Amino acid sequence: MRIDKAVEIISNKNIVGDYFELKIKAGEITQHCNPGQFFMITAPGVFLRRPISIHSIEGSNICFLYKVIGQGTRSLSEMQKGQLEILGALGNGYLRENREERAVASSPIVSKFPFLPSPTREVEERDAKRGEGKAEVLSLSAPFFPVLIAGGTGIASLYFLSQRLSQKGILYYGAKNKKDLLCLSKFKKLGWKVVIATEDGSAGKKGFITPLLEKDLQKMPPVYIYVCGPMPMIDTVIKIAKQYNLKGCASLEEKMACAVGNCQGCAVKIDGQNKMVCKDGPVFDFDSNGFFSQVAQKDKTAMTTQGAQKRQKQKNRNL
Amino acid sequence: MKSDLSINFAGIKFNNPVLTASGTFGYGYELADLIPLKKLGGIITKTITRQPKEGNPQPRIAEVCGGMLNTIGLQNIGVEAFVGEPLEKLKEIGIPIIVSIAGSCDKDYIDTAKILNSYKGISAIELNLSCPNLKKQVVCSDLPLTRDIIKGVKKSVKFPVIAKLSPLITDIAELALQVEKAGADGITLTNTYPAMAIDIKTFKPKLSTVKGGMSGACIKPMSIRSVYDAYQKVKIPIIGCGGIMTGEDAVEFMLAGASAVSVGTASLLSAKNLIKIIDDIENILKEKKIKNIKEIIGRVL
Repeated sequence: MRIDKAVEIISNKNIVGDYFELKIKAGEITQHCNPGQFFMITAPGVFLRRPISIHSIEGSNICFLYKVIGQGTRSLSEMQKGQLEILGALGNGYLRENREERAVASSPIVSKFPFLPSPTREVEERDAKRGEGKAEVLSLSAPFFPVLIAGGTGIASLYFLSQRLSQKGILYYGAKNKKDLLCLSKFKKLGWKVVIATEDGSAGKKGFITPLLEKDLQKMPPVYIYVCGPMPMIDTVIKIAKQYNLKGCASLEEKMACAVGNCQGCAVKIDGQNKMVCKDGPVFDFDSNGFFSQVAQKDKTAMTTQGAQKRQKQKNRNL
Repeated sequence: MKSDLSINFAGIKFNNPVLTASGTFGYGYELADLIPLKKLGGIITKTITRQPKEGNPQPRIAEVCGGMLNTIGLQNIGVEAFVGEPLEKLKEIGIPIIVSIAGSCDKDYIDTAKILNSYKGISAIELNLSCPNLKKQVVCSDLPLTRDIIKGVKKSVKFPVIAKLSPLITDIAELALQVEKAGADGITLTNTYPAMAIDIKTFKPKLSTVKGGMSGACIKPMSIRSVYDAYQKVKIPIIGCGGIMTGEDAVEFMLAGASAVSVGTASLLSAKNLIKIIDDIENILKEKKIKNIKEIIGRVL
C-alpha cells in the first residue's frame, strides 16, 4: 500500500551534529510499513523529493533519522511545523518471504554461540502474512543469527529491522567519529550486542568495521547478513560473505526522481542486469557469488550473466 | 457551467488535453493505485525499440535549479515484450494509448512500427526523433533521415504518426514544416534540452554520459517559444511538452498553439500533479467563461 499526501509534522529535532529525527503523523499507512522501505519526502526549495528510509514506527507515527548533507536535507531540517508531502511506503525491504529461512535452511545451527544474545530456537509463524487481507507487516522469527552491519546513517533503517526481528543478534556499526554513532542505547535496550569501530578511533576500534566482522565470523554459527551503508563497505561485506559462504541482503542508495519505477533514474547493475533501486530494491539479496535478483533466480532463461552462470554451474555440481 | 475539455487530435479523441510524456510514466499502469488513470487524456508510453535496450550506466539523474537532468538511454523491454502484458494492461485503462518508438536507423523504426500495427488498442505512434542521450546525434538534426523515418513508418501503419522533435534545432518552425511535408499527422514539441552539470567536490560530471537532457519547470519558456514558432508554420496539431507543472502552464502552451500537452517531470515528482493539472485547466476555463478548450488554441494575442 502506498499513500501520496500531506501529513502533519509532529517534531523535527536535531539529535546531534548534523543528524535529525523527523516524526510525522502518518495514520493507517504505518500498518503497511516494513523495515528497509522508504518514503519520498518533499523538501522546500529543491526540485525533487528526497528518499528517506523508515527509522521506526510508533503507533500511527513514522520516524525518519537523516543527516543533513545538501540543500534538500538542509531545508527539510528547517521545517518545524505544518504539513509535509510524503509518498510511500516504497520499495522492497529487508524482510521478504522466507528469505532468511531459505538462507540458513541448509546449515542448521548446531551450537549455541557464546557471545551472542541467547536465541529463540523455535520457528514461529509470522504474525501477519501477506495476501491474507491483513496488514502487510512482516516480522520474522526464525532460528538464525541476524548480523546487522551499519555504516554511518545506514543505522537508520537497520534499527527498524532490529525491532521487527524477534531474534536478537549482533550489530556491527562503523562511523567516522564517536559523534556519528547513533541509536546505541536503543539497540542495547533491545538486547542486541553492539560492536563499534570509528575511523578516528574516538570510540570502539580504530578503523573500518569490516575487519572486526571478518574476525568474529570465524567463530560464528551460520548467520544471515543485513547491511546498509556506503557502497565500498557493502562491497567489502560481500567479499567477506563469499569467503564464509554466507548469504545476506544489502540496502542500496541511489539518486531518485519518481521512486516508483517510472523514470528509471536509479538503476543499479544486479547480476548483470539493470534493476531499479526504488522498485526492485532498495534491499537486494547477495550470496557467495555476489548480488542476485529474485527474478533471475526464478527465471532460469534470464540467467545469462556471469554471476548467474557461475551459480548455475555450482547448482549442477551440487546435483 | 462545465467547460468542454475534449480534443480531437489528428483523429484521436482525448477527453482532455493532458497526456503523459514518454519516458516518465513507465508503461502506464504502475501508478494505478495512486491516481485514477482513466481521468487522463491519454498515455504516451515509455519509448520502445525493436530490441530491448539496457540503457546508460549510473549516475543517470542529477537535480538542477528548477529541474533535473537525465540520461536513461532509452532503457526498455523491446517491442516484442511490450506487445504482451504491458500493452494489454494499458488497453484496460480505456483511454487513448500512444506508443513512443525509437531506433538507430529508419529500418528500426519501421520494423517496430510494423509489429505494433498488427495490434489493436493503439491510438497513435510517437516517433522519438530527439532523444539526446544516445551516442549519435539526435535523429531530427538529420533531415533526410527524419523524412525517411516518417515516410517509412507512415506507409507501414494504420494509425496517426506524431513526430517528437528536439528543441536544439536552428529553426524549429522550418523543421516542423519539413516533418509535416513528410507526412506526419502531428508534432510533439519538445523533448529535453541537452545539458550538463558538474560536481564541484569531485570535479566529475554529474551524469555518466557527461551530458543529458534537461527537463522540469526551468525549460518551460523555451518550449513555449518552440510551440509558438511551429504553430505559425504548420497545420498539423502540436502536443506541447516541456516544464508543465501546473494547469496554468498547460494553458500557456495551448495559447501558444498546442492542441494537447504532455506532462513528464511533474508526474515524477508526484503522479497527483497530472490530475491537478486537468482540474486546474478546468477551473481556469470556468473563470474565463470559456466553454470549449479548443477556443484557446493558438489564441495568444
